[in-house]
Amino acid sequence: MDTPGATARPRFQVTIEDSGERFACAEGLPVLKAMTALGGRGIPSGCHGGGCGVCKVRVLEGDYRTAAMSREHVSAEEEAGGVALACRLYPASDLRLKVLGMMHRAVEARRYGLV
Amino acid sequence: MGVMRIGHVDLRVLDIDEALNHYVNILGMIETDRDDAGNVYLKGWDEWDQYSLILNPSDRAGMNSIAYKVEKDSDLDAFEKRIADWGVAVDRVAAGALHNCGRAIRFNLPSGHEMYLFAEKAFVGKSVGAVNPDPWPEDIKGAGVHWLDHALLMCELNPEKGINKVEETTRFLREVLDFYLAEQVTAGPNGEIQAATWLFRTTTPHDIALVGGPRPGLHHLAFFLDEWNDVLKAADTMGRKGVKIDVTPQRHGITRGCTIYFFDPSGNRNETFAGLGYLAQPDMPPITWTEDQLWRGIFYHVGEEAGSFTSVYT
Ligand code: FES
Ligand SMILES: [Fe+2]
Repeated sequence: MDTPGATARPRFQVTIEDSGERFACAEGLPVLKAMTALGGRGIPSGCHGGGCGVCKVRVLEGDYRTAAMSREHVSAEEEAGGVALACRLYPASDLRLKVLGMMHRAVEARRYGLV
Repeated sequence: MGVMRIGHVDLRVLDIDEALNHYVNILGMIETDRDDAGNVYLKGWDEWDQYSLILNPSDRAGMNSIAYKVEKDSDLDAFEKRIADWGVAVDRVAAGALHNCGRAIRFNLPSGHEMYLFAEKAFVGKSVGAVNPDPWPEDIKGAGVHWLDHALLMCELNPEKGINKVEETTRFLREVLDFYLAEQVTAGPNGEIQAATWLFRTTTPHDIALVGGPRPGLHHLAFFLDEWNDVLKAADTMGRKGVKIDVTPQRHGITRGCTIYFFDPSGNRNETFAGLGYLAQPDMPPITWTEDQLWRGIFYHVGEEAGSFTSVYT
């Protein structure tokens, strides 16, 4: 019998190489969504729509598919080479990722108000 | 005479069906037209011109251009001259080049954003009509936004290199297009850097806003709602539909607006903005927010950076 809220979907393990952070991501869920839902912070989180580019990662290992991503942030060559936006990245196996996005901007001290 | 209000924004989207679902079913805009290039035109129920938003299918997100409506056709000639005299290149655009609009002029703001001025656009009318109208239409969807209210443009700010496109663009808007300054943020050791501005032509605190950042872009498009309770209901709709919310309902110190920041399915930031703030008039003394109170100005309750306000935009 099904427990309410339980999911029969397969879950994959996502490992962020930079921080060693590991979390589960159900099939059909974008990696960034799975991470933020669990309170993870290893990948910078922004628009969740493939438009802003802050969640850019390189997939070092594993199978996946992606939804539309802004060409401003991921070129066709990069895409072919395993670069993706984590908010548009759906795992099809366990994944190992390296963060390429603009994490440094979030921690760098601002000198002039907003920049 | 002069600029009346924001006319429309031409917005790039990665998936037109997802974008339409967002702007129609979640924000409550109305599709009014399409063209052969696949662009879709939308308006709010309280707007009378044919469209205030163009959804442009593209392989990237962000804004193509922003347009303001002037009162008289002859204003276009006057502005063409003033813009050129200020040293900005300006083109004449034939009637129809802007979809269902009369002739227009086109130029780039000092910040690099492309802007159009036009005087005429096809008329559709408010959903409630103009004779004995109801206060709101019955078939409203989602947040039921009234109109496109303003846009916030990110402008390059790099004081070490002597670049301040906020200051330059603000000066252009005031000196050439007769915008008025409602509020500003000052930064730097002696507050000498104008880091953000809010400018108006209507009687509300802003019809355009400029904020300094590392590169130019679109920070957000804002849609008008009556009041705080509408903001809460809009957030309920977003929660139900799984919209990515950046900043939950709260109050801006700057402009006094009640706000939610969220993203469309292509990652373009939207805002639903309620309340007219205060009566903005040409003789109103501009309000200044100092760097130490900057975040109080932006998010009045917490007084801290929330969401991904300055680092994330398209
Ligand atoms: S969070 Fe903006 S592109 Fe992924
Ligand atoms: Fe706004």
